[in-house]
Amino acid sequence: VIASGPSAHPVHDGPVIARLCLICATIIAFAMSAGAAIAQETREQTIVAQQREKATQVKPYEPNKAERLLAQLQDTLVVAPKGFYPMFGSVYSGGGFTLGAGYRQYLGDRVNWNISGLYSAKNYKLIELALHSPRPLSGHVDFNVAAGWRDATAVNFHGLGIDSPEDQSLYRMQQGYVGGDISVRPRHWTILRTGLGYEAFTLSNGPHSHPAMNELFTSETAPGLGESPDYLHAFVSAAIDTRPAPDYARRGSLVEIVYHQYADRDDTYSFDRVDAEVIQHVPILRESWVLSFRGRLQATLDDNDVVPYFLMPSLGSGSTLRGYHSWRFRDRHSLLFTAEWRWMPSRLAMDAAIFYDAGTVADRLHSLSIADMKGDIGFGVRFHSPVLTPLRIEIAKGSEALKVVFAASAAF
Amino acid sequence: MVAVVRPSFAIVVCMIAAITVTSTAPSINGRRFFDDDPIAREPDSQDASGAAEWEIELLVDLSINLFATPGRNTTNVRAGNINTIDEVPDSNWFTNRIGSRQITIDEAVRGPLQANGPAPGRWQVVATKKAGFAPGFTMRDADGELWFVSFDSAGYPEAATAAILVANKIFWALGYWQVENHLVTIRRDQVDIASSATFKPPSGKTRPMARGDLNDVFARAHRSADGSYRAVAARGLPGRIIGGFRYYGTRPDDPNDIVPHEHRRELRALKVFGAWTNLVDMKAGNTLDTVITENGRGIVRHYLQDVGSTFGTGANGPRDYDEGWEYLVELDLVRQRFFQFGFPIKPWQTAKYADNHAVGRFEADAFDPATWKPRVPTAAFIQARADDNFWAARRVAAFSDEMIRAIVQTGRYSLPDDARLLTDVLVARRQKIAKHYLNAINPLVDFTLSPNGYLRFRNAAIDAGVGTPPVEGYRATWSTFDNATDAVASLGPATFGANMEIAPPAPLPSAPGAFVRIAIAALGAEHAAWGEPVEVYFKRTDSGWRLIGVERLR
Repeated sequence: VIASGPSAHPVHDGPVIARLCLICATIIAFAMSAGAAIAQETREQTIVAQQREKATQVKPYEPNKAERLLAQLQDTLVVAPKGFYPMFGSVYSGGGFTLGAGYRQYLGDRVNWNISGLYSAKNYKLIELALHSPRPLSGHVDFNVAAGWRDATAVNFHGLGIDSPEDQSLYRMQQGYVGGDISVRPRHWTILRTGLGYEAFTLSNGPHSHPAMNELFTSETAPGLGESPDYLHAFVSAAIDTRPAPDYARRGSLVEIVYHQYADRDDTYSFDRVDAEVIQHVPILRESWVLSFRGRLQATLDDNDVVPYFLMPSLGSGSTLRGYHSWRFRDRHSLLFTAEWRWMPSRLAMDAAIFYDAGTVADRLHSLSIADMKGDIGFGVRFHSPVLTPLRIEIAKGSEALKVVFAASAAF
Repeated sequence: MVAVVRPSFAIVVCMIAAITVTSTAPSINGRRFFDDDPIAREPDSQDASGAAEWEIELLVDLSINLFATPGRNTTNVRAGNINTIDEVPDSNWFTNRIGSRQITIDEAVRGPLQANGPAPGRWQVVATKKAGFAPGFTMRDADGELWFVSFDSAGYPEAATAAILVANKIFWALGYWQVENHLVTIRRDQVDIASSATFKPPSGKTRPMARGDLNDVFARAHRSADGSYRAVAARGLPGRIIGGFRYYGTRPDDPNDIVPHEHRRELRALKVFGAWTNLVDMKAGNTLDTVITENGRGIVRHYLQDVGSTFGTGANGPRDYDEGWEYLVELDLVRQRFFQFGFPIKPWQTAKYADNHAVGRFEADAFDPATWKPRVPTAAFIQARADDNFWAARRVAAFSDEMIRAIVQTGRYSLPDDARLLTDVLVARRQKIAKHYLNAINPLVDFTLSPNGYLRFRNAAIDAGVGTPPVEGYRATWSTFDNATDAVASLGPATFGANMEIAPPAPLPSAPGAFVRIAIAALGAEHAAWGEPVEVYFKRTDSGWRLIGVERLR
């Protein structure tokens, strides 16, 4: 015990000091002997002594926990993503924050099958089994087959037209699908794509929190109401795409036209539609800023065809009118313009953007009018890789609400 | 009467005594300078044949350097592998060449080349390229020797291959262990696939290589008008490959690797060499350790294996504009740019580049040696001090215009303008580096002390044409030095010299084994750092005075 002051235990001081001095003398002697032990006659000897010392401690390199985790992430997500992996995606527009998981295995060098499941904050669900064959035939062709089931439990419906009321009904859409597509790149900037699928829809009322569809709408105001058609859906597209990657680009352009044919098995609700899209990214000062523009037209080809309400062109949230609810505006034709001013807090991984969206819908193509357009303005942050945008968070203000968008893809 | 001593006080006294003895032990037992100082070679005394192969994953390496940044706090620790005269001994990391001895232009142009390139005839591919993004493969030539082949990317003829060839010579002359790179022309029909060749597709399942795999490589490579492909063939390294090295820490399985890499001067010096050549890709994957046998022992040799990430091109085209200017991620800049809508404007955004596909984005006008950065923070660069940078800048300054021009010619640019551009930029950047780093510290070098006591030296900044003589000359402060105790005793008042020769204030000790210390500073120099004295130590020998110590920065 070491006393705290001279009056505490003076009688014990002598032996305590003696013991302490002995201890310290031992330390001093050890220090001196250690010094003598390491004393060398030459510089080389001192280095050799240190190397000899290390030779007694050599061991194989062992990565620490963080290194092991990073290496595992690299193997799973970058090098050869196979086995189980996490997902952040979308079941259906309006589903809210969505997470899931997938499992991937390879059948050949590149051909892989993949099963994945997603679940959203609004109880939307998706399960899909897909076969993906990238780059056979010297990298000019991609081939995909997929079968899945989607359950969107509370999809907005406000009625048709740009002047539809803010009040909405909700419906539930369940969709089973199977199909495939093939895309060909004759040149690296040209893409030809075609696909065929069978899509079976089951429509029902949404949650009781909102009026049922048949309470607010009729088959006149919501074509196809009460029906659950099955479709053979074929499409063909041609595009000139000079962007470095479709899901993240700071330069380049896209001009694409897609022809859809939806053939109802009962032929009641068959229709054809054309989607045309133009995107131009204008880099400023070595891509420090980018002005990005997009225009999209969706047009139903035959005015006599009946398009069911849930397959009509629509605007709202996602990557369209981001300051409005998902599926806020629907009709047989839609027109959308978007402009973004982007800047790059991190050229490697993060963009920010201020954007303006404007769009309208109409029952006749010639009725699409700029004067009728609804607009919104917003701000967004995107986390990206050189080719992907795995997370996009945006806040936008339209005339009706302030909306937050979470997405796992580029806006355009 | 018994003297009462407070135990706590006794403890303090004894502990201070113990600590004092411990901390001064080297002075008691050792000397500041040993008889073999300054050493010219770093010994590798222990057998390292047990060193095992490791793989430093790219994502791991990038993430650690970007976000954990080992050694991110500057320690001001003197380089741990230098000798007593502030030089780097030869080792399995480094060999003194330019700046230490006369290097002829012929030597520099030959660089690491020991023999001819791949033996002509049919070549057999044994694997596709595993590291890096440039198209390439591993092959055996007609004599069965192993080569690593790397092509120019489609659309960028001569860019990657010329950069490799030129940088290869530069870094060899600077002293690094380099791979032997040869320029080759390959035709598809001269290449076969070895029966043992394997390929690892995206599935990760290794299988025998097929012609299609090789076609994929050629499809990514630039094809000349005559159907051939220009490539660089790197001779397989001797010894057993055990992976790359990091720019911090030591290999735990190499007993001879005792100096943390961030404190190795030749690795710190890459900050300056990298700035000169724009060597931005400082990943472990661009380095390579091999175990060779020397004197019957396994020894690890450390290569800067891939120095092709230099100048203005990458493996697949011109560098991004911000490379060499910013790390891939800088959180402060991210925050600043986020809230300021992408502002402020940085120099890389307005730097003017020649429109040149072969050399890429490489310029000297906006280049600032002090602010140059590799892709990721590099521990050895963070720890580099002014004396390390000075040491490196002297070597850069030692490249003459003619030598640079000759080395650039080895890149075999088909257009004279390409070679001229690269030469001009290298020369201009060399001058900027010399001006910045040679003037950032006392630049006096090459000290000699004549038998009659006259001190002579040179001024590296003036020699490089980036400094002017100090208006008031130089001052030398002379002392005797006790090698056992570090004690110094003045030899008289300071003496002065207008030129680079100064007389002693009094006769110097003449007994063999005597030491003198001389502190030399420039007076009235345009750079304040010249006024900080450099301390040099001489030891008396039978034949005169021998330089035994230089301390440019404590």
